[in-house]
Amino acid sequence: MPMANEPSKIAQEAQPQVSKKKDVLLSVRDIHKSFGTNHVLKGISLDLRPGEVLALIGGNGAGKSTLMKIVMGIYGPDSGEVYIDNEKVDVSNPKVALEHSIYMVPQEPMLFPNMTVRENVTIGFNARQADLDRELMEVMDQIGWHLDPDRKASTLSIAEQGMVEILRGMMRHSEVLILDEPTSALTFDEVNALFRVIEGLREKNIGIIYITHRLAEVFQIATSVSILRDGIVTMQGSTKDFTREDLVKGLLPPNAGSVKEAAAAQKREIDYTAKPVLELQNFSGYGFADVNLKVYPGEIVGLAGVIGAGRTEMATTIFGRDKVLGGKVLLDGKDITGLSTTAVIGEGVNYVPEDRFRDGLFRIRDVEENTTSALLAHGLGKFILGRKEAERVSQHYVDNFRTKVTGLTQEVGGLSGGNQQKIVIGRAFATNPRLVILDEPTRGIDAAARGDVYAVLQQLRETGVSILLISSDMEEVVELADRALTMFQGRINGEFVGDQITQDNLMSASFGVTGEARSA
Amino acid sequence: MQIVKKLLHARGLTSLLFLIALFVIVGIINPSFLSPSNIAACFNTSVVYTLVAVGMAFTLFTGNLDVSIGSNLGLVAAVVGSMLRDGQPLMLAVLVGLLIGAVIGLVNAWGVAVMGAPALIFTLGVNGILRGIMYVYTNGAWVENLPKEFKDFSSVTAVGDLTVYYCVTILAVVGIHFLLTRTRRGRYFQAVGDNDQGATLVGLPTLQTKVLAYVICGVMAAIAGIIFASRIGFVTPQSGDGYEMKAIAACVLGGVSLLGGVGTVLGSAIGAVIMASISYLLVFMGFSSNYDNAITGVILIVIVVADALIQHRSMVKNRRARLMARVSQDDAADAGAEKGGDAK
Repeated sequence: MPMANEPSKIAQEAQPQVSKKKDVLLSVRDIHKSFGTNHVLKGISLDLRPGEVLALIGGNGAGKSTLMKIVMGIYGPDSGEVYIDNEKVDVSNPKVALEHSIYMVPQEPMLFPNMTVRENVTIGFNARQADLDRELMEVMDQIGWHLDPDRKASTLSIAEQGMVEILRGMMRHSEVLILDEPTSALTFDEVNALFRVIEGLREKNIGIIYITHRLAEVFQIATSVSILRDGIVTMQGSTKDFTREDLVKGLLPPNAGSVKEAAAAQKREIDYTAKPVLELQNFSGYGFADVNLKVYPGEIVGLAGVIGAGRTEMATTIFGRDKVLGGKVLLDGKDITGLSTTAVIGEGVNYVPEDRFRDGLFRIRDVEENTTSALLAHGLGKFILGRKEAERVSQHYVDNFRTKVTGLTQEVGGLSGGNQQKIVIGRAFATNPRLVILDEPTRGIDAAARGDVYAVLQQLRETGVSILLISSDMEEVVELADRALTMFQGRINGEFVGDQITQDNLMSASFGVTGEARSA
Repeated sequence: MQIVKKLLHARGLTSLLFLIALFVIVGIINPSFLSPSNIAACFNTSVVYTLVAVGMAFTLFTGNLDVSIGSNLGLVAAVVGSMLRDGQPLMLAVLVGLLIGAVIGLVNAWGVAVMGAPALIFTLGVNGILRGIMYVYTNGAWVENLPKEFKDFSSVTAVGDLTVYYCVTILAVVGIHFLLTRTRRGRYFQAVGDNDQGATLVGLPTLQTKVLAYVICGVMAAIAGIIFASRIGFVTPQSGDGYEMKAIAACVLGGVSLLGGVGTVLGSAIGAVIMASISYLLVFMGFSSNYDNAITGVILIVIVVADALIQHRSMVKNRRARLMARVSQDDAADAGAEKGGDAK
């Protein structure tokens, strides 16, 4: 069985089986790419052959999308080469990629909503409309999927939109089709229909790169698989040489075990006989369904999963930002279901959003104003803001969190990511909440600052505040959580306590591999 | 039946029906309005609005906006007017006028499409600069004593009581409509405004298209300026002031979306006739034409607010549908798990 730590060996082993087939359609060699100090791709090499469905899997931030954007010419690589049909090509913009028969179906379809299906598919071609129309019909016949070409794109379902994207690729006689999580918004029947189309394309010797978060799909549709982790390929080869366990292993960092033990030592005793601070009963909304969940006093509950699993939607719905479709939210036994955001904060729940720039910080305001902005509606005096009190609260959080600022009047936009995050967290806790929901608190923050944020959270937990931690970073959940839940396709599909909280377990469940399926 | 349905969906047609209804209502209130010469006057007056509205439509299609057209029109009218007054040949004056319009379009395109400045603010700034240049150029004085032939040409009629200016303009608009809907490159304008990123991904020249839209808008405003000078016969330092609102209102009334990607130039031409008719109709209904601007503003706001509401609702609906599709159905999830297990 191939091991995670020996990528080169696996690559060599895998080579002979596939190279018996025809030439290589697409080959990327030793691609490197950095954004600022963030080294996203650290020497990626991949080959794609005709009729191959290459599944590309990896956690969030592993570099899958960046790699595909380089292939499409949306980004330029820092170093490395792209070969198309054994010829080195400088893919400087999407037009070059299109001219070389590569087409990417993006995760969110990029259609022109106000144009018809016909226009969407045929725009940009230099040919007579009648010829294009005839070809469109032929292509639809070939893959056996018929859409009314005069329908407006805005009336199409997500599945149909994805289909139009594939038609676009077919019309360009694409030899390489990149599908970026094509099933993430599809129903079960639509997924099966898509798989039939992919089979059809495969028979036509088209090479397909299939990006997915669902391991089951890898075995259903892919002929080969590559796993990306932290910007390197950790495993690649023919699908039949792998088991699900192998794939999960490839997704995890090599030292996954040791982190767990170190973290386990810090775990505290939680009184599970106490009344839960937060209780969700069959809670349903847009993007999640039937969630049952309890958070006890002083507990950190980790909620793991992949992006798009429905965790953020659940949090924002608790927070009064979207409509509740069913179930209850209880805070200390009190029903707070469907209250407005202001009322929910008043009841003692706060939410620190994922995107601190878009939803969180007032960037050109100073540290003090940011820390106390959540108090504007509550607490800082009825009408006139208590300046002294604001200063005291802000200084308290700056000191406690060891936030590196020149003073309370420094503009927040000039702070580092880690320090900005501490300010946002400080602001949430300044309202003296019973429960804080943190959404990806350390995304895009360097390792040192991450440690600081963890320390801050440990420290806050001591004060009896409960924390619901949404994170796609399994290591983070292992390190911080007293109890961990996983969400997959909008539902809670796993609960782990104590020693069970391992990166392996969390990663498997996040990718939809549950206990029974794994042992089967 | 299919055709009827399609026609009802076209907002350009809705605005044509609105225009006819408007004429009929005013005709009922004051039957003396319903004479061929009065109705022709509504169309003839609209020629300048039509030109700026069609130009504006191009920038709106691409998802942008140009509020510098008022000063553009005024400046070109002043320059062309003064050149003709000073005895320069007509061709030269027109050429200089069009060149000014094209340069203004390029400046706007540079700021908005190349540098990425917000379209409203950038073109508002350009508007101020152009108005300033116009004051300096004219010394704040009126440009008068334009050649008689130049002025008289504006009242030469072609078909019935319709002027040559209007007939040529409307033929040109129909031609532009054809180019926009039936040619490959013509569709690019709306594609870019409909989905900028998507347009890039299918290899359309997005930047080039946006630049071209601004240049066309600038040139259309310049043509409007020349015809303005011919029709009015003199140019004041305030000439063209407020035309941007009229042009935007005409487009919106004609079914052009401010969010880009939707509408036709025919629709905006009809909208321009409505805009031009308002002050005329007010007089026939016994009101002061002073209400003209206020009514234009109200029409603009009503349509834009209604559009925003519709847009917001469909956005929320789509987002929710997308999120719901992500949630696994109980039985589907089980079936998926079994399938995966078998494959292994």
